[in-house]
Parts: sequence; structure tokens; C-alpha cells
Amino acid sequence: MRKLVIPGDLVATNPRVAGYGTYVEGGKVYAKILGLLDKTDTSVRIIPLKGKYIPSVGDIVIGIVREVTGNGWVVDIHSPYQAFLPLPEYPENKSRNLKVNEILDIGDAVIARVLNIDPKMKVTLTMKDKVCKPVRVGRIVAINPARIPRVIGKKGSMIRLLKAELGIQIIVGQNGLIWLNGDRRKVSIAEEAIYIIEAEAHTEGLTDRITVFIKSKKGELENERGETQANS
Amino acid sequence: MSEDILLDIKRDYVLSRLRDGERIDGRRFDEYRPIEIHTNVISKAEGSALVKIGNTQVVVGIKLQPGEPFADTPDRGVLITNAELVPLASPTFEPGPPDENSVELARVVDRGIRESEAIDLTKLCIEEGSKVWIVFIDIHALDDDGNLMDASALAAIAALLTTTVPAERFGVGEDFPLPVRDLPISVTSLIVNDHILIDPSRDEVSVGQYFMTITTDQDDNIVAMQKSGSYLLSEEKFYELIDVSIARAREIRQLLKDV
Amino acid sequence: MNEEKPKLIVDGKRLDGRSFDELRPIKIEAGILKRADGSCYIEMGKNKIVAAVYGPREVHPKHLQDPSKAVIRYRYNMAPFSVEERKRPGPDRRSIEISKVSKEALEPVIMKELFPRSGIDIFVEVLQADAGTRTACLNAASVALIDAGVAMRGIVTAVAVAKVDGQLVLDPMKEEDNYGEADVPFAFLIRSGKIESITLLQMDGRMTAEELKKALELAKKGAMEIYAVQRDAIMRKYRSEEEVE
Repeated sequence: MRKLVIPGDLVATNPRVAGYGTYVEGGKVYAKILGLLDKTDTSVRIIPLKGKYIPSVGDIVIGIVREVTGNGWVVDIHSPYQAFLPLPEYPENKSRNLKVNEILDIGDAVIARVLNIDPKMKVTLTMKDKVCKPVRVGRIVAINPARIPRVIGKKGSMIRLLKAELGIQIIVGQNGLIWLNGDRRKVSIAEEAIYIIEAEAHTEGLTDRITVFIKSKKGELENERGETQANS
Repeated sequence: MSEDILLDIKRDYVLSRLRDGERIDGRRFDEYRPIEIHTNVISKAEGSALVKIGNTQVVVGIKLQPGEPFADTPDRGVLITNAELVPLASPTFEPGPPDENSVELARVVDRGIRESEAIDLTKLCIEEGSKVWIVFIDIHALDDDGNLMDASALAAIAALLTTTVPAERFGVGEDFPLPVRDLPISVTSLIVNDHILIDPSRDEVSVGQYFMTITTDQDDNIVAMQKSGSYLLSEEKFYELIDVSIARAREIRQLLKDV
Repeated sequence: MNEEKPKLIVDGKRLDGRSFDELRPIKIEAGILKRADGSCYIEMGKNKIVAAVYGPREVHPKHLQDPSKAVIRYRYNMAPFSVEERKRPGPDRRSIEISKVSKEALEPVIMKELFPRSGIDIFVEVLQADAGTRTACLNAASVALIDAGVAMRGIVTAVAVAKVDGQLVLDPMKEEDNYGEADVPFAFLIRSGKIESITLLQMDGRMTAEELKKALELAKKGAMEIYAVQRDAIMRKYRSEEEVE
């Protein structure tokens, strides 16, 4: 059972175990955010329940192009911090002989990776990575970024479940945005499932409930299809 | 800026569901979200109401004080309606004096009350020519999840219905209930791609600000109309809007009977 | 206020029947708005207040950004219908001063350095006022900040002490505020259930140094009780999260 903590709660007396969501003062470790206390022998961290997405190097994010400049694109990643994708970070073999705005234009969505963050929080993205690409089809769903780990699940278990049961493509951005692609009705079921995960993130038996939910929705789809075929 | 990304995502989704003839929250095109009306929420005010339409929340407070009448109506009380779209209610509201949206909202709500003659202003005269009741209708937005207009108008009339004129405090007689003799109800729609979406939620508004508000009185007369937004309205849609607005207003008016 | 001053202490009790160290009834609800990143509704006595937090978020215009930390904005505002005589909308000098000292009460507690170049906005709307609005607003703002997931050193809890008819009383109501000899609002940083420092302190009136020290002790007692209600509001909102994963 993970205890709920609020800022200022004392969570440890050994500064060496201070992990995410904590701070050290006067040799003691305190919580600095609202969250669930996760204590192991070697670390004490807080699992956040709320909060804006603050980029971290290596994160996969989904963003939308806001501005096209001579040397790249300004990308909105649903964060207090805007990101920049420099032209050289776009895969060369896909951009030869094209003008900047022909590669990506305002309003285009992209899956990208956070390459670098400078001390002033200027965020640089790259798309030179297997999973990165522009997003022109499918649907993007936005949830509370703090719930993203739950959508992925322990060792990816939840996202594997969604993919297996629905047969759609899913790419999860650390910034709270999730890209879904595939059969329209299945994508809708996935979206509903994601909202349930967001609402019930830390409750017991969630994985089982999601499985049941998806199976029952798929069942409804089959019945609909059966009826349509019978009527045609 | 990070508000924009959500709008972009929602816009595509709203439009794609519309192509299937559906709204994203599963409502019928002419269906309101759940409506809650709570009156007397601010006991220090002479009248008040909190209205929720879905997640949208507005509180209206009514304050009265004696003042001078307008020169051309020496025997009538004065109505003053103001709306504060405070920054608390939405990431897009800025602090400062009322902008064009605040002003429009207040004036449309005011028009509905005034033109329906919901309040008999001649009953608000204290001394003809020198002293009448000034009725302040102050709209305070708390949470903008779309359609602040209808929530404000409904809160205004609900607050007025439960207002007591504070004559005793000002030494001009006995307190009496504010005489309300009509129930103007505004119905706002979003017009998108040939569809009329009644009571648009904020997510639906991501496709664009293309609104029509029609306010009717209890006899189904139209007492106020406002086309709000840069779009072209066809005559056909206009007639459709009138019909659906009258029908919805009748239902909402029923909610006020319990107030 | 030079009219006939009413007696504020009668038979050892205050006009509303409270003892000297008793708070007015408090009710706090966290996370009550949809659009805001964090929010809180509070009732303290007849005060009814809503607080909302937006942020960290981008600061516009850019020249207002601080490259090393978040810019904190606090706006205290009273609804026109919140007071007996209708108040014209918009900030007046009193609101501006309250906004300033309230912001300064929260700033040292918010970990601004973690969010350079961004802004954290705190908006507080007084829907009904009944003495002690600034302290009630701070209590709500504190909870709204936590509800928004903003990193803070601890929680800020505020309460006022007044001197009426020579007697120090906790959490003054309207008549005590109007006719008392002194009014001292306090706000404290509380960590792990302990009051650590003072983040807001103002005084209006006249007191001896001894009285002031006693007022501080009285305020600390009141603050601990309010802290429990703030904590409880957050726990109730997020209780379901605590279950086993």
C-alpha cells in the first residue's frame, strides 16, 4: 500500500536514498510534490499524481509544429517549454530536395525524441530514431502526463495488452499524448480504455478490468457487424 | 501555447465524429449536458445562483441599492448587467477590464431579461424622478467548459427569482420579493458543417467560434438573438435554429419551476 | 468607525459564541474546477472563496520570463456581490496590496528554480466576504498549488489574530475586525506537521510586544487546526489513489 504524501512530509532521514519527487534539507528527506510514496531499501521516491510535463532527455514525445523557420521547426509538446526540431535532426533520406515547409508544415504532428535540454530549459528534439515519424493518419489522445507510466504498465504489460487485443498501432509520448492508428472502431475502444486507465490508474485489478472492458466492447462490435450483414 | 495542442487534437476528432453523425460525448445534436441550479448560494447578496451545465460553472449575484433613475424613465428601476470572465475560469482569460467577449455576454444576458420585461421596473420606483432601485446583475464565471452564455443567463434569471429587495436596510419600507413575471431562457448553438450542436462543450468549440444564441420568453416569443462569430448563416439553418431553440428553452424553463 | 462601539466580549464569550481560541467553521474541497490545473473551494465562517492555479505554463510576453526561475503571479479579486455594498469590478488598492503580500507568502515555498522561464499563476476569487479573506484565500491557494502538482517545500497555512476589548482572539469575524484594537494576519510554512517559519505578517492597530508574542502563539495553534483541514481535503480527493497497485 503506497501512502499519499503532500509537500513537506518527511519521508526519510538518510539523504542518500532521496529519489524523484523529494528534496533534502538539514540532512532529512522531504516530499516536494503530491504523490504516492514508493519506498525501497535503496531509494525513496514519490510517484506524481498531477503536474505538467517537464521534458527529460531521451523521452519520446508527440508534438505539433507551430512555426517553420529557416533551419527547423518550433514544436508544441504540451509543456510549459516549447521544443525545437533542427533541420539536421530530420532523417536526411526523407528530406532531400525538399523545402523546410514541404517536409513539415504548421499543424503537422510528429513523434520525436528529446535530444538535449540546456540549463535555460531550451528543448531540442530529434527525429533520427526508428520510432520517430510525422503523424498524418490515426488519432492523438491527450491524458494527464503523470498517468503515462500506467498506460505503459509494468514492463510494458498494459500497452502490450491494448495492442494484442485490438490489433492497432500505439505510440505513447511521455508528454501525455498517445498516437493510435488502425481500424476506426478499435481505435475508439482503445481511446475509451485509455481514459479508464487515466481515471483509475492506481487501483487494484486495473489490468483485468481493462481486459474485460475491451473484450466486451469488441463483442458489441461483432454483434453490430453481424446485424449489418444480416440486414444487407 | 500548450492549450493549443489540445485544441488541435480535439478539432480533428470532433470533425471526424461529426462525419459519422455523432458528437464526441455521445449526446444528441439537440441535447444539453446535465444542468444544476442552486440558488441562495451567496447569502450576503440580495439574490444569487450557481448554475452548472456539464462542467461549466457560473455564479450570478444580485445586489440592489437606491439610486437615480435615468432622465427619460423617472419612474422605473435600473438594470445593470456585468460579466467578469475571470482568469480563474479558463487558461485563455486574462486579467483586466472586460474584453469584447465579456461585454457581449453581459449585454446578451441583459437583453433577454430586459426585452422579456421579466422584471416590472415600474415596481422598483421609490420616489419618482429621484430615487429608484438599481439592480446589479453580476455574472462571475468559475469554470469555462463551453457555453458560458446559457449558464450565465440561466443563473441570472434563477438569482432574480430568489431576490429580496432590501428596502429595510435603506429605510425605504419593508423588504419584498423582486417581482419577476417572465422566464427568459437563452439557447446557444454551435454551427459546424451544416450541423447544429446545442450547448457546445469547450472541446466542440475547438472547431471554431460559430455561435447562435436565441432567447425566448415563456410565450415562445423571441426576445433576443445574437449571431456570434465570423461565419455565414443560411436562411434554412436560421429557421431550424429558431425551432430547436424554442423547444429546448421550454424544457429548461421547467427547471426554474423548482427554484 | 467612530459610532457607538459595541461590546465585543460578553460574559467571557465572543459575539458569535466562540471562545477566544476558537476558529470559525471551515470547509475545504480540493480539485473542484475542470479547466484549472489545480483548484480549491474554501468556506471560513461566512467567507466563500475559490482558488485556481495555472502552471507552470509559458509566460507571455517573453520579456517577462525569468531565465532562472518561474515567475509567480497572484491575483486576489472580490466579486461585486461579495460584500454588503456592491463593489465595482476590478482591482482596487486594497486588492493590489493583498495580492502582493500573498504572492510573497507563497513564493519562498514554491520551488521556482525547478521551472525556469515559466510562469505559475494563482487566481483567487472571493465570492462572499466576511473578515479574514486574505488568510482564507491563502489557505485555498495552498491547496490549489498542491492539487496542481506544483513542487513546494511544504504547505502554507494562514490565520489572523485580533485584539478586541483588550483580549486576543483567534480568527476574527466581521465586527471584531471592524471594531477591534488590532488585527494581525499570519501565514506559516508547515512541514511534516510542524510550523517552521512565517511567510506572511501584517498588522493594523496597536499592540505591545508581549501581546504580539502571545498573538503569534495563538495564531500557531489556529494554523495547526487549519492545516489538518487542508491535509484532509487533499487526502479525500486523492484517497482512491492510495489503493494497492
